[in-house]
Amino acid sequence: MEKNSKNLTRRHFLETAAIAGTIGTLGIGAAISSCSRKKSHEELGLPPLLDMAPDGQKLKAGLVGAGHRGTGAAKNFISAGRNLEITGLADLFQERIDACRAQFHQYDIDIPEENCFTGFDGYLKLLETDIDVVILATPPYFRPEQFSDAIKAKKHVFMEKPVAVDPVGIRSILSTAQKASAFGLCVVTGTQRRHKRDYIETYKRVANGAIGRIVAAKAFWNQEHVWFRLREEGWSDMEYMIRNWNNFIWLSGDHILDTHVHNIDVINWFAGKLPQSAIGYGGRHRRVTGDQYDFFSIDFDYGDGLSSHSMSRQIDNCANGVGEVVVGTEGYTNCENRIYNPDGTIKWEYDYPKDEKGEPLTTVKISEYIQEHIDLVTAIRTGQYINEAEQTAHSTLTAIMGREAAYTGKKITWDEILNSDLKLGPEKLEMGPVDMKLEVPVPGTAVTID
Amino acid sequence: MIILYYLYKKFSFSLILSERFRYQFYEVSMKFRALFSGLRSLFVKGAGYVFLSGILITGLLIFLGNRAMRYTSTDEYCLSCHSHPHVEPTWRQSTHYDNESGVIVHCFECHLPPKGDNHLMMKIKHGAKDVYGEWFKDADKINWEEKSTLENAIHYTYMSGCVDCHDNLFPSTLSKEGDEAHLYYTQQKETVTCLNCHLSVGHYDENAIHAKNVDFGKTVTKPTVVFSEPAVVDEFKDFTEYIPQTNVSFEMVAVSGGEFNMGSPESEAFRKPHEGPVQRVRVNDYWMGKVEVTWDEYLAFFNATASEGRKSLEELQRDAGVDAITGATPPWGAPDQGWGKGDRPAITMSHFAAETYCRWLSKVTGKTYRLPTEAEWEYACRAGTDGPYFFKGDPKDYSADGFMKKIFKPDTSVINSYVIYLLNSEGKTHEPGEVKPNLFGLVNMVGNVSEFCQDWYAPDVYASYSGEPVMNPTGPVSGTEHVIRGGSYRSDAADVRSAARDQTRTDAWLVTDPQIPKSIWWYSDCIHVGFRVVCEVESVLTKQ
Repeated sequence: MEKNSKNLTRRHFLETAAIAGTIGTLGIGAAISSCSRKKSHEELGLPPLLDMAPDGQKLKAGLVGAGHRGTGAAKNFISAGRNLEITGLADLFQERIDACRAQFHQYDIDIPEENCFTGFDGYLKLLETDIDVVILATPPYFRPEQFSDAIKAKKHVFMEKPVAVDPVGIRSILSTAQKASAFGLCVVTGTQRRHKRDYIETYKRVANGAIGRIVAAKAFWNQEHVWFRLREEGWSDMEYMIRNWNNFIWLSGDHILDTHVHNIDVINWFAGKLPQSAIGYGGRHRRVTGDQYDFFSIDFDYGDGLSSHSMSRQIDNCANGVGEVVVGTEGYTNCENRIYNPDGTIKWEYDYPKDEKGEPLTTVKISEYIQEHIDLVTAIRTGQYINEAEQTAHSTLTAIMGREAAYTGKKITWDEILNSDLKLGPEKLEMGPVDMKLEVPVPGTAVTID
Repeated sequence: MIILYYLYKKFSFSLILSERFRYQFYEVSMKFRALFSGLRSLFVKGAGYVFLSGILITGLLIFLGNRAMRYTSTDEYCLSCHSHPHVEPTWRQSTHYDNESGVIVHCFECHLPPKGDNHLMMKIKHGAKDVYGEWFKDADKINWEEKSTLENAIHYTYMSGCVDCHDNLFPSTLSKEGDEAHLYYTQQKETVTCLNCHLSVGHYDENAIHAKNVDFGKTVTKPTVVFSEPAVVDEFKDFTEYIPQTNVSFEMVAVSGGEFNMGSPESEAFRKPHEGPVQRVRVNDYWMGKVEVTWDEYLAFFNATASEGRKSLEELQRDAGVDAITGATPPWGAPDQGWGKGDRPAITMSHFAAETYCRWLSKVTGKTYRLPTEAEWEYACRAGTDGPYFFKGDPKDYSADGFMKKIFKPDTSVINSYVIYLLNSEGKTHEPGEVKPNLFGLVNMVGNVSEFCQDWYAPDVYASYSGEPVMNPTGPVSGTEHVIRGGSYRSDAADVRSAARDQTRTDAWLVTDPQIPKSIWWYSDCIHVGFRVVCEVESVLTKQ
């Protein structure tokens, strides 16, 4: 009897196990093969979007590039949660460091003077101080080398977009990104639309088929002219160019990278793929300094009939606007907060938080500038790894491909640009005269891009 | 049931006693478990004892099978057959044996795919081949050096094995060039393998250099004879050219111009469409190098002009008009592949470098040397003949294509006496003295190394020619790749026909060059192309 019951029990167990196993297998199979099932927030690789980073050990950050955006990013970092500090600065210019320290002083935060460094190698000294995170916010030209050194020094990284100005720099970012992953170092880039809750909610719906198959897109960043500086007496070539970096191709990558990369990144993100080639126009009419263009119009070909028209312009008194549109077989979206039916009626709209009177606000609950730091600190403190270097390198390279298509007038393919030897900038980085040809590119005259 | 369970326990217990059986135990027990549950229902119906013995026998077989698998994957077992002398010492000297970490990589870890990745099938396949080789072939007659080349090594070295151990392709210790190279690899896994750069990691090769070879071609001893003047030529006949300030001389053959049929008729075996339509072509008189430019000749140029500083192609093209000639930068790796230099044809130089060599040679000799046009090349190759070869024979007989060839070996003595090609080259270039010249007295026109022509390559260029005959055609006015002709030591007999055409492949030939920008002087991944010079008659004889 006892033997029997034992047998029965065992038999029962085996049967249960077999059934469970079958269901398990079916379940996994169904999950893999199913396309209709909605993908979750996590499955889409989206950040957790907490209102505040979880508490944890103190994280000390150093800021490289203490200008306007850098100082802003440093403030965003300490606003992301508790126990977050800025403990060191690096900038080419002493007065930038002084100004940044003064701003933090207003919040009763003192950045010790001995942790502040000037010069081209100041950031290397900063990396030797006791910091956990480094914020890279210099002109993009410097990013690849600084990112590489930051990962070598085993720091988590927040870095601004764009992440490089040329293909050689992009490839450096791509390999450093792999090293960061190997070390488990988190990397968040300044493509803040990917951390903005309305964009993310829109993306989730589009990724789950809200507008059907994507068939067309456009991205635009058309604005007034941007800041520039005229050369002052006593400034060397190098000092002038860096103080006026926003107007030199080798430092900023041109505005198609510097600003428009945000929109280009959104299209790559929503399309779920990268363009195969670009053909485009561009020119320079109104710019006062530097060698950049002031408008671009690029057709990015994503293959399978999908094209994205990409416009960027920095000229006063023109039709201006910034944004994206993605068109699908079953509707279209502005990517930010609305999804339309093909007839133009609204299919879905982002539900913005409301003010005290119950009126909807025009912005998300947590500013995307702070959200990206919350997402970084959350990843560091919870171990939910994040590394955006590769995706932003790809979007930056997309912009570079468009830029070179406009500069040369030729069709530039992804393979060409990814493997191009194009490297911008002077031979040596030092204050003083710079022996560089600074010619505005003329389409149709370039021999080859590599 | 209980007895079986008891036996099972006891069996596993006795196995687990020994540490070295742990692995087998795991595998065996997993298989037992599978059998166990699968046969359970039958067992319950009363057929248990039959299965009990069945299971035990199966278990024993699996156990023995596993032991056999282990035994036949030991280095000792591999080396018991693979007794060709260099295998073991070169392995022991390689970084896969002798390294800082003290880890030894065993034969099967590179030469079989990892377990779970078709390991067993490949083991059977290679094992069968090796057993055949051991029993039916003479190890002394196998060209092991050729077997070690990249082309052959990829057939018995598994990249899946490389990355199975080398998980992290981007260690922080990797150089900038390494970063670039590995990034390229991750994007181009179809076109580039680990072995392209790391061929000698498993078997040491003293000639392998994966670095800038700054000492390449530098002669230590001074030559005893030094020519002070170039050759003086006053009539159109063969002459010997002397490169001033060196001990290097070479033969130039006077090729009297004439008419010939350029291209191959559609009836010709192995003909490709770009070899036609056949055109009646006339070329003027010219001198042509009797042999392909040798290392001695090329190094005379390299040593006279080599530069450490790098210039862009645009800068160099701009400088081309001025007197000073900037020559090649140091090569990456060993351009001569360790086969030796001297009279062997120079290889791995770029088309641009070959053209620069001609400009330099023109400057130091006062004559006009250049690369041959495609028409001049074919006229010289044919030397008055009109068939597939300038010697007797049918491409269909000479080609290694086709299974029957392996059984009925046709007589290849004629082609062997004229051509260094796939079947007799042993995978490398040969010195020109080893074969007979064609009717014009030119050696190695086909085979040994493919030769650059000055024409841009276009598949349909013959159709664009007009004139009866076409006078001195020079190919398309522009293009991206150049014509190469003649086939090489690695070509099948089909590709050493007089009319066979080929082209440069610049991107592919620079795949593993880690420099940015890539070299304009040396191809990192092309070891079968060289060139031969022609000298213009007008530059020599109209001067007087």
